[in-house]
Amino acid sequence: MERKRNRVEIVHDMLRIIQERGGRIKKTHLMYKANLSHKQMTTYLVDLIKNGLIQDKKAEDKNLILITEKGRDFFVKYAQVREFEKAFGL
Amino acid sequence: MKIVFTPDWFLTSDVFINIFSLIVLIFITSLAFKSYKMSEKKSALCLGFGFLLIALAEIATIITKLPLYYDVGTISQIGSTIINSDIVSTIDIFYYIGFFLSRFFTLLGLYVLYKLPAERIGGEFFLYVYFITIISMLSQPFYFIHHITALILLVFIINKYAKIYLKEKARNTKTLVIAFVFLAIGQWIFLFSKLSAIYVLGQLVQLAGYITLLMLIIKIIQDGKKEKQSGNRSRHA
Repeated sequence: MERKRNRVEIVHDMLRIIQERGGRIKKTHLMYKANLSHKQMTTYLVDLIKNGLIQDKKAEDKNLILITEKGRDFFVKYAQVREFEKAFGL
Repeated sequence: MKIVFTPDWFLTSDVFINIFSLIVLIFITSLAFKSYKMSEKKSALCLGFGFLLIALAEIATIITKLPLYYDVGTISQIGSTIINSDIVSTIDIFYYIGFFLSRFFTLLGLYVLYKLPAERIGGEFFLYVYFITIISMLSQPFYFIHHITALILLVFIINKYAKIYLKEKARNTKTLVIAFVFLAIGQWIFLFSKLSAIYVLGQLVQLAGYITLLMLIIKIIQDGKKEKQSGNRSRHA
């Protein structure tokens, strides 16, 4: 059985998915791709917007989520931390 | 009693190796603390603490070596004054405390690294601190005790990380094992460091260990950036 993801891992997954979609994604797509419930998704989005990692945008009647430069930096830093933890078996 | 075994022609290089080692240790410590800040894993915090202790050992070594290597004038000048013996004994205490702290922090740091990441540091930690204090004090007249203890701890650390490598097959863990092997060989060479040339060889092997650790850090940072680039590439796919 796969272990539950912690908060930072979920944030990293969300940012990775947005990155892979070219830096922008529809809210519903992000919810399905990140494997989150609507309630979880809303909580995380509020948190990420508040911290400036993503931004909410309405375009062509679509609710889009855009990754910010700060979000990209966080994504890199977390990837480095994960590599570090992997190397040291943490 | 001879305090250090460094030949005169190697004094500056010796201090530079210590400074380089300190910089590498600061990098690893900051990465470990950054990891703790993000993932809140206690093992990351302890790892950072272990490397921080070894960094403190390097600082103690550098602070002790600098006046010993470069401030010879002060010692010879005080030879002509009446209070000479008092000052000389003060200088002796300075060197004694400096090298004691260097040995103590090194062994304690290595012990913390050995206890990680699988096991928690429990109540017996203070018992080990006591033993490490005794060993560090005994290492003043019998320098090889420190190197034997460091070597044993490093062998345990290598064994631990080698098991992690065999399980996970991560290339960076392999680099980490190689770095610790260099450091262990260095400690083994230091056992015979009464010969100046052997001491130089030991320091060079230690340097190789720290260069390997620096390469590991660079690789970790590059791997993190690659993940960002792979994310960006998929945008155009």
